[in-house]
Amino acid sequence: MNLATGPDNAMAQPPAARTPGRDESARLGFRLTLPAQVLVLFIAVFPLLMQLYISLTDWSPLDGLSWWMAWESWNNFYNYYDLMRDNRFWSAMWRTFVVIIVCVPVEFLLGLGLATLFVDDFRGKRVFYSILLMPMMVVPAVAGYMFFMLFQSGGPVNDVLSIVFGTRIAIAWLSDPTLALIAVMIADIWQWTPLMFLILLAGLVGVPQDQIKAATLLGASPWQRFTTIVIPKMKAIIIIALAIRVIENFKIFDTLYIMTGGGPGVATETISVYIYKLTTQDLIWGYVAAIALAILLVLSVFTVYAMKRMAAAREVEA
Amino acid sequence: MAEISFRNVTKRYGTSVAVREASFTVQDNEFFCFFGPPLSGKSTILRLILGLETPDVGEILIDGKTVNGIGPAERNVAMVFQNLALFLHMTARDNIRFPLAERKVTETEIERRLDEVAGKLHIRHILHKPPGQLSGGERQRVAIARALVRDPVAYLMDDPISALDARLREETRVELKRIQREMGKTLIYVTHDQEEAMSVADRMAIMEQGLIRQIGTPRDIYDSPASTYVARLLGSPMMNILPLAPEKGAAELAGGAIAIPGLVRGDTAEIGLRPEDIKVAAWTEGDGSRPARVFQVEPLGGYTVVTVDAGASRVRVLVRGQPDIKPEALVALSCDAARVHRFGAKGAAMPR
Amino acid sequence: MSTIRLQNLVKRFGDFTALRTMDLDIGDGEFMALLGPSGCGKSTTMNMIAGMEEPSEGRILFGDRDMAGVAMGRRGVGFVFQNYAIFTHMSVRQNLAYGPRMQGKPKSEIDRRVVSIAKFLQLTTMLDRPAKGLSVNILQRVAIGRSAILEPAIFLLDEPLSNVDAAFRAVMRTELKQLQREFRQTMVYVTHDQLEAMTMADRIAVMDHGELRQVGTPLEIYNNPANVFVARFIGSPGMNLLPGQPSESDGGLVVDLGLLGVTAPLPEPLAQALRGHSGEVVFGFRPEQATLGVAGRGISAPVTVVERIGARTIVHLGEDETAIKVVIDNEIDAVLDAAVLVMPQMDAVRIFDRATGKAIGGIRG
Repeated sequence: MNLATGPDNAMAQPPAARTPGRDESARLGFRLTLPAQVLVLFIAVFPLLMQLYISLTDWSPLDGLSWWMAWESWNNFYNYYDLMRDNRFWSAMWRTFVVIIVCVPVEFLLGLGLATLFVDDFRGKRVFYSILLMPMMVVPAVAGYMFFMLFQSGGPVNDVLSIVFGTRIAIAWLSDPTLALIAVMIADIWQWTPLMFLILLAGLVGVPQDQIKAATLLGASPWQRFTTIVIPKMKAIIIIALAIRVIENFKIFDTLYIMTGGGPGVATETISVYIYKLTTQDLIWGYVAAIALAILLVLSVFTVYAMKRMAAAREVEA
Repeated sequence: MAEISFRNVTKRYGTSVAVREASFTVQDNEFFCFFGPPLSGKSTILRLILGLETPDVGEILIDGKTVNGIGPAERNVAMVFQNLALFLHMTARDNIRFPLAERKVTETEIERRLDEVAGKLHIRHILHKPPGQLSGGERQRVAIARALVRDPVAYLMDDPISALDARLREETRVELKRIQREMGKTLIYVTHDQEEAMSVADRMAIMEQGLIRQIGTPRDIYDSPASTYVARLLGSPMMNILPLAPEKGAAELAGGAIAIPGLVRGDTAEIGLRPEDIKVAAWTEGDGSRPARVFQVEPLGGYTVVTVDAGASRVRVLVRGQPDIKPEALVALSCDAARVHRFGAKGAAMPR
Repeated sequence: MSTIRLQNLVKRFGDFTALRTMDLDIGDGEFMALLGPSGCGKSTTMNMIAGMEEPSEGRILFGDRDMAGVAMGRRGVGFVFQNYAIFTHMSVRQNLAYGPRMQGKPKSEIDRRVVSIAKFLQLTTMLDRPAKGLSVNILQRVAIGRSAILEPAIFLLDEPLSNVDAAFRAVMRTELKQLQREFRQTMVYVTHDQLEAMTMADRIAVMDHGELRQVGTPLEIYNNPANVFVARFIGSPGMNLLPGQPSESDGGLVVDLGLLGVTAPLPEPLAQALRGHSGEVVFGFRPEQATLGVAGRGISAPVTVVERIGARTIVHLGEDETAIKVVIDNEIDAVLDAAVLVMPQMDAVRIFDRATGKAIGGIRG
């Protein structure tokens, strides 16, 4: 039975007790995860240090030098200085930002709407569920190709629009700077709404039913219940879902590159595309390292912020 | 033999003290109960006995030996959990054997102990069934058997029956008492239900915020509580504690509405009267005492709780049977001076 | 009018019948307890009154209004859940204010009501604390306040005190009664604790396995149980029920209890009713309506357990089929394992038919 907790009692509950047994299991845990820790060291920590090193140089593979000799073209943060004045970089950042600002909220709202439909049982639920998840299971590059074909001037999208509007529509989606970005965003939304749907459905199902009943008995309408009980209780899950999508969306590449290659021109050049081009075409890897590090910094700050908001949200909810 | 003692044990969690200077000795074969409101330290004491916690100050002794540094596995004290924690996929027999199988005891020895314990608990006939097919009472006995098969020094229970229906609680506590007497083992029991504690315990310890306030048999503590705190904890309805106005005499208790002939004043600050010790009679003019007015009558069948406004105090009286008393009636209250509890400054009891 | 009428109420869950044909009338402003062990159907009945479940058959009427099809938010009932269902992501104040807020009441009125109900339930100091992490005792009051603030004519409480510790239960019982008396609401209270029902209710509906076994005031049910279930369920402890056979003797009609011996003669009115009856009977007497002795007429049994629980002492005698309990005064010392004689007050004895469990004989005056 539930006994008293809280401020009206001076006694503390025993916290995770520091008994001899507990220290032992902590040590065992450390030893068991050692192999994984070593692995992480190699695939994350060392590359990071390498990257830091290279970003302070002008190194390029064209120099003919091995990477550890990069100190020969040491340039002392000049890359970062260049970065600040690189207009193409900032345009790419801006475009990425636009993509996030449009795609993530749309995916969120669509996913939430779909999730509310799936809370209760209905006929054929399992079938619809599988269909809904399919876009997420398509290989992003394949999706890119698919949408490339869909958005052709003589392609299915235009055909459907022609039927709807009654006249022949032959928009050159992927040749128009604005429309190309829109097409790319549509592809992203199609592909990743199911993920939002999944995460938000899990959150929705975790909302305590008895509190919803209590709210109903107190006279709350379905909308009122949604805004005062359901959404507040889902706060932590919502933050996770948004954080995941923002970070992933920031890195958008596969689908987009196959669809437009970053074009027309640089109209759909997001930050990943820019980095890709610098790396494979211009081969100025020192500079690229600097860009990548700068982005890592931005995303880390964002992640820490999101984690803090989530911890706070979990404090408040049941 | 198998005594369990605490000597001046204190246990802290961070800045708050869960158990403070606890000293007591549980005798062999005793049904000892720790009783108090939630968070008074009872469960912490159980954890200290088990060895899940180590004291910050003081010693814990089992069988005369200090066990402070010894872990739970070596102390040979068994615990029966509130949710019983039986393995649902095993039969009752395998459940009971489990602690011994782990300890490399010989097969014949296991069988012998199993049989002995099952016999004492009257569960031989259900050993082949899994817990899912047993009744609640049978399951509880299997859980107890599992604890006892190790032949522990003592077994512990933390509030085992509070989750049951009221009627089942009443029956199960008698059952537990019987089992303990038949098994002949020390049982240390924690509860926050005063009736339960008084019913089962041979001796009990009353706790308040980590301190042991009184130790004794339920009867002794009920008849002679050491303080107003203890007096209020035992007994239902609660003891009536009334202030005694300093300047006036005994006649001025509760506005003169309760007649206690022969009451000695002394330094008494408060008077305690148990509801069953107060007598109620119809009031007539010529009595000389002031009347009390009936506020509420709660019929319980075999007893009736009559709540009465006496002077500025509200007093509850427990009357046997179903007397003809109605709300708003005027009654005369009296009490035998020998049944009165007197409390001095700070609520400490004065000698009777 | 806030009367509640249950007519021919039945509830089935698939193959399982939770409630069989229940008929009950609850008066305006009455405190009615639905009392019974777990699984008797009391919570199911309550859920149907609240509108959380639809009856399989039968009607529920509030006053003259049939509640069929009326959604659960629109019935004007207050409901306190067993585990309170407090909105843990809100403060105490926000919990209390929720109902009026959802119903669009002006802010000044909401504030006024919150302050007033907080005062009544002694929550004033807790108002701005988050509801999460508060003790069960406080949550209990918040749960009640949250419903009470809407001043519903009908208040439903589903075992509200079962999670609360024993000492606090007594306090809360008094507060709930005061609440009901002050607001004159019709209260339906589900519990498995007969003491709680006896203390609080105007009338009690005793239920078992989906059936209503008896309805009456606490004293009516205590003094004149309609069947063995009610006789055993009500009372602390419940009535002693011993199987036996009526037989004529010189002194009058007695009951032969087999191994336990023969009872004293029954009072005439009861004997009359019993003579017209055939078959085995159950001899019932309450533990507090018997005395213990060593000589004379009585039922012989060994003392097995003595419970000294404060104001009373309960002596347990015999075991299993022939278990008897007697409540005695504290001054008497009962010695374990001694054989004593239990002497029931014959004018308080009740007799039941063994096959049907129904009470035989007249009503005690």
